[in-house]
Amino acid sequence: MSSDVPLLSMRGITKRFSAVEALVDVDLDVHAHEVVALVGDNGAGKSTLARMISGVLAPDAGLIAIDGEQVTIPTPTAARALGIATVFQDLALCENLDVTSNLFLGRELRAGAARDDGTMERMARQVLRDLNSRIPSVRSPLSSLSKGQRQSVAIARTLIGSPRIVVLDEPTAALSVAQTAEVLVHIERLRDLGLGVVLISHNMTDVRAVSDRIVVLRHGRNNGMFDAAHVSQEAVLAAITGATRAEVAEGPLSMLLR
Amino acid sequence: MTTDTNLAPSAPPGSQPRVPLSQRMQGLGGNARQYGIFGALVVIVLLFQVLTDGKLLLANNVAALFQQNAYVMILAIGMVMVIVAGHIDLSVGSVVAFVGGIVAVSMRDFDVPWVVAILIGLAVGGLVGAWQGYWVAYVGIPAFIVTLAGMLVFRGLALVIVGETVAGLPSQFIAISKGSLPNFLGFANNMDVVTLVIGVLAIAAIVFSQLRARASLRKHELYVEPVGIFVAKLALVAVGIGILTVILSFSAGGTPIVLVIVGVLVVAYTFLMGRTVFGRHIYAIGGNRLAAGLSGVDTKRVDFWIFVNMGVLAGAAAIVTTARAGAAIAAAGQNFELDAIAACFIGGAAVTGGIGRISGAIVGALIMGVLNMGLSIMSVDPSWQMAIKGLVLLLAVAFDLINKRRAGTQ
Repeated sequence: MSSDVPLLSMRGITKRFSAVEALVDVDLDVHAHEVVALVGDNGAGKSTLARMISGVLAPDAGLIAIDGEQVTIPTPTAARALGIATVFQDLALCENLDVTSNLFLGRELRAGAARDDGTMERMARQVLRDLNSRIPSVRSPLSSLSKGQRQSVAIARTLIGSPRIVVLDEPTAALSVAQTAEVLVHIERLRDLGLGVVLISHNMTDVRAVSDRIVVLRHGRNNGMFDAAHVSQEAVLAAITGATRAEVAEGPLSMLLR
Repeated sequence: MTTDTNLAPSAPPGSQPRVPLSQRMQGLGGNARQYGIFGALVVIVLLFQVLTDGKLLLANNVAALFQQNAYVMILAIGMVMVIVAGHIDLSVGSVVAFVGGIVAVSMRDFDVPWVVAILIGLAVGGLVGAWQGYWVAYVGIPAFIVTLAGMLVFRGLALVIVGETVAGLPSQFIAISKGSLPNFLGFANNMDVVTLVIGVLAIAAIVFSQLRARASLRKHELYVEPVGIFVAKLALVAVGIGILTVILSFSAGGTPIVLVIVGVLVVAYTFLMGRTVFGRHIYAIGGNRLAAGLSGVDTKRVDFWIFVNMGVLAGAAAIVTTARAGAAIAAAGQNFELDAIAACFIGGAAVTGGIGRISGAIVGALIMGVLNMGLSIMSVDPSWQMAIKGLVLLLAVAFDLINKRRAGTQ
């Protein structure tokens, strides 16, 4: 399914925070119709890489290409202009605003001097319907929604402005089982809509449930890439922890495998 | 937890069977709070009407109420925007003295026409705001510190400019605060016809805009409130404005000019905060600055313009204050910042930012104004007046907090 030219291609990405090397020479490809899981232990550099895709951080070295064309992503606004939408780990939503306002925050539609609230509400309903999302009303203030519903809003927000690449940073962290299942369905919807999805997660069950490819980072370096359909959980875990396969299968780490 | 897909657009929240009661009440929260302040204002007005043997609502007292409190309302409009964005401005009182001094000196010593002097005042206010906005937005110094410094800086500069009282200002300038609209349409039964016409126009404009808003909700298949409630609300507003109009039309001058100025500002800023992208961004920044930034809102630019706007409005308040005093004095504007901040918080603004309305701040200012006037008519000692106002502020915010806790949103 993956076309030859990746939608997003990152080569030799390096980032230092003073003395700490957060990322060293990291490569990542994302194609259309594909969910790429980015996994690794705490501090492996997953979020740093995601923040570069979404224009929050700039790499010290390395190339980023979209549709094979080299780009720089200096700001979140620039990322959006390039068709990249991000759901940040710390839910980047305003709880005092309603669902529609959050969906369109930073890219409100105008009608003359005023906002075009009517059109925005209609589009908001459409997007939530596309996601099969369960939100009581597009006028609900975010503070009245559950955590899972807020995550739905965050994901729905990526669809405003027809992006091609969606970056999800730990979208299921701190969600209940049912809410997690709903978010995973949303992610599959994103793939069905033809988007390239970068999914960052700690949860191997979630990763294996929805991703097509698994990219492992360890200490800020690439440490393996797997086809999600065929790889064993042990192999991925071994890559994450740096343990050999035998150690994982027999040692205390096997306790972690569910 | 999750309700079933209830995206059905035209269904009113009340008719969705699966929405729990607590959630429905939350949806009402914002509006109920608004009605609450209006109710409190009405109660306080009626209370003092009784306590002062009906003197509070004498025509000339009502006109004076607006003339005396115009500065608070003008400042509160800017202040509520500052507070919603999560900042504070402690400097407005000093800025009022500073700008007032410049306006008065330019008219008296440099023979600047009064219209030009007004424009100079607004421009200087804007520059002061730009100065403070720069430090807050682009250097990142907390507004509390920047405006605390501004409070000292501009009070000092006011003392430099207004060494001694600058009096002898043009009568047209003084009329801004003391004058009323000309009664060129004559009188009917002792009522100023101009005032009556303005009242009728105001009611018509409100009815028209509400009907239009309702039609637009219909067009977009959104929830519209039941006809009965809609009509009742409109009728209440119309009766309120009607009573105010009739009382004012009996006053010595008719409609005070400052009331027109404040009215125009309220309409304009309600539109700005409620219906424009800029207004939405102010609320977003106050709700979650980081999220707004990540969403592509230029938070620094918004912060900067909020302070420029506050400066311009402080300039307007300076003009009104100077005109009312008939002179510029260096001590003008003492505690104005506290009056404006108190009006915002009584009017339901949240200390943490993200919540607050222009209408609330105006009602908050009116509550303080009615308290002032009522207590003065009852010849309560000014020291006690201050203590009472302090308690009202505390109780208003405490009431709000307790309400929120009960609703479970805190």
